[in-house]
Amino acid sequence: MKKLITALLGASLLSTPVFAQSAWTGGDDQPTNPLACTGESPAPEPGEYNGGTPTNAPDRNGKDLTVVDIPKLVGVGYFASTASGMQEAAKELGNITINTDGPTRANIDEQITFVDNYITSGVDGILFAANDPVAIAPVLEKALEAGINVVGYDADAEADARQWFVNQALPNGVAKSMMDQLASEIGEDGSFAIVTSTFTTPNQARWISEMQAYTEKCYPNLKFLETVEAQEDNILSFNQAQTLINKYGDELNGILGMTSVATPAAAEAVQQNSLCGKVSVVGLALPNAMKPYINSDCIQSTILWNTVDLGYAAAQVMRQVADGTLKPGATTVTAGRLGELQIVNQSQVLLGQPKVFTKADINDFDF
Amino acid sequence: MSRRLTHTLGSLGQEILLVVVILALFAFVGVYNPRFLSENNLTSIFVGNAYIAVAAIGMSLVIISGNIDVSIGALIGVLAVISGLLVTNGYPIWVAWLAPLVVGAAINAVVGCLIAYARVPSIIATLAMLSILSGGLITFTGGQWISGLPAGYQLAQFRLLNVPSPVWFMIGMTILAGFLMRYTTFGRSVYAVGSNPEAARASGISYKATVVKVFAIHGAIGGVAAVLFATQLQVIQSTTPVGLELVIITASVVGGVSILGGVGTVFGSTLAAILFAAIGSSLIFLNVSAYWLRAVQGILILATVLADMARRRRTG
Repeated sequence: MKKLITALLGASLLSTPVFAQSAWTGGDDQPTNPLACTGESPAPEPGEYNGGTPTNAPDRNGKDLTVVDIPKLVGVGYFASTASGMQEAAKELGNITINTDGPTRANIDEQITFVDNYITSGVDGILFAANDPVAIAPVLEKALEAGINVVGYDADAEADARQWFVNQALPNGVAKSMMDQLASEIGEDGSFAIVTSTFTTPNQARWISEMQAYTEKCYPNLKFLETVEAQEDNILSFNQAQTLINKYGDELNGILGMTSVATPAAAEAVQQNSLCGKVSVVGLALPNAMKPYINSDCIQSTILWNTVDLGYAAAQVMRQVADGTLKPGATTVTAGRLGELQIVNQSQVLLGQPKVFTKADINDFDF
Repeated sequence: MSRRLTHTLGSLGQEILLVVVILALFAFVGVYNPRFLSENNLTSIFVGNAYIAVAAIGMSLVIISGNIDVSIGALIGVLAVISGLLVTNGYPIWVAWLAPLVVGAAINAVVGCLIAYARVPSIIATLAMLSILSGGLITFTGGQWISGLPAGYQLAQFRLLNVPSPVWFMIGMTILAGFLMRYTTFGRSVYAVGSNPEAARASGISYKATVVKVFAIHGAIGGVAAVLFATQLQVIQSTTPVGLELVIITASVVGGVSILGGVGTVFGSTLAAILFAAIGSSLIFLNVSAYWLRAVQGILILATVLADMARRRRTG
């Protein structure tokens, strides 16, 4: 009898690995910093400024500025919408001219050539979204040495190669948006599973850890089922979501898509199983990929940053950097219609919470 | 009679083994979680890798002919984008369905000519094609997905007798190719060219014509796989899944097609593709990390190739 009990105990220990209780699969082991469940979170300390400084920049305060915007590539909806946000800011400010120009494919060598050419032709400021943070640094430093103001957005360079970077979202912000949206759709005691790229992809692992921390704090009754990997593969994502639906049946209330590939594929699986309204899909995805599902009322939302606002904020920051009103040591910056934006990570301006796109406004965006 | 029977069984060995393994897996996971055997999940398993099974048919022909093609994943990506661009630019849906077959056959006929006439080894010719196709795809599309596909385009979502069309394509094309390989002069010449090119030449089989034909057919079959790939969801990814060509080659090899050429059937590769989908689904039902799928595929390749070597040593 004693033996039997020991054997049963041993078996139960083996079948419930302790670590499975403490961490969601797919997260990293880094410390987390969950935001407040409701209302404003206390602003984090930005820390000491670690951006660069232009050499002998002329006094540009209030003067007309000629600025070039060099995104990763031109001709795609994503950067067309950031550019439109910049034009909106330029029109509002009246004393800044922004011209968007860049490579037609996301190629770092071509992007470097563009930056170099604009340094030679002479501009007051350069806005950029880097194809490679390290490779672009030397040419941006050259721009700073020529007295040009340099501000990044969307994809950063090494910190000392630019002055400020407009960061579209922090991991704890993404986590809050995802879990708030999920809880609002499936209720605070629903069950959900995650489709991610791989367990070791840095961004996704970070977001999953933050989501876990935020859920434990704000939605303790939400039930996490499991995480499955689907690389960045459309069809595999669909198959994995399909298998989750088959495995859990009615128990599954929601699927979280961690990549812009997984989310539309999960939506497709829900739609093909006629589970619209029964299984929610919440995740990060480009609006264009989600329009079919949101317009047909199968899926309620998709989460991403507002790219128009991102461009708008970048232009506002550029103006204030040139004016000298945004200086090292600042904790906030006022960016036109977006109001006060926080300074984070030493020399970054945080755009704010990610945007939840719904049927009401998704068709206004084309990227 | 009995010798003939053992010979037939011997040549079917891998296929029968695969059927046994698939049934054993179904039984094992089904006992652990009966939902694994639900109609929905079985359908998912069969649909899941159908386009890979279809592409593996052409790959089997190529490998049986004594060659290899590492560009098939990129070709499927390119053909899927061509199909999507045609239909979103207003061309009729049937054009978007057929164009990948024609373009695929044309591209691979060129590859076949390089191999047969210019004597470029197939691994080099297709490696070059892989770079050209995948590089061209990224440059041309800039990574943009194709969305806004019209209603009626999603061929892979059609059902006949409640069975999704990819399953019909997989079964139909496997039987058709199996028949072609077994009962036609062309089929026999593919085996002949793959097992002994010199002997094939001596017996009046044109090595060059056979290789070009094999690659052209492989390209057209790749076109079918691309259409199934493109029409399963409502957006088309403009990059190819990483390692798709390896999964397709693995399906052929595990299906019993000898990497040395001359041996194998298309039935084996289809069963192997189904087995991979079943293993992938099992891992989720058994709560095992998906990382094991690749490890298991690797073990299957090694086991199959070792068994093939042993068999050759015994008979040769």
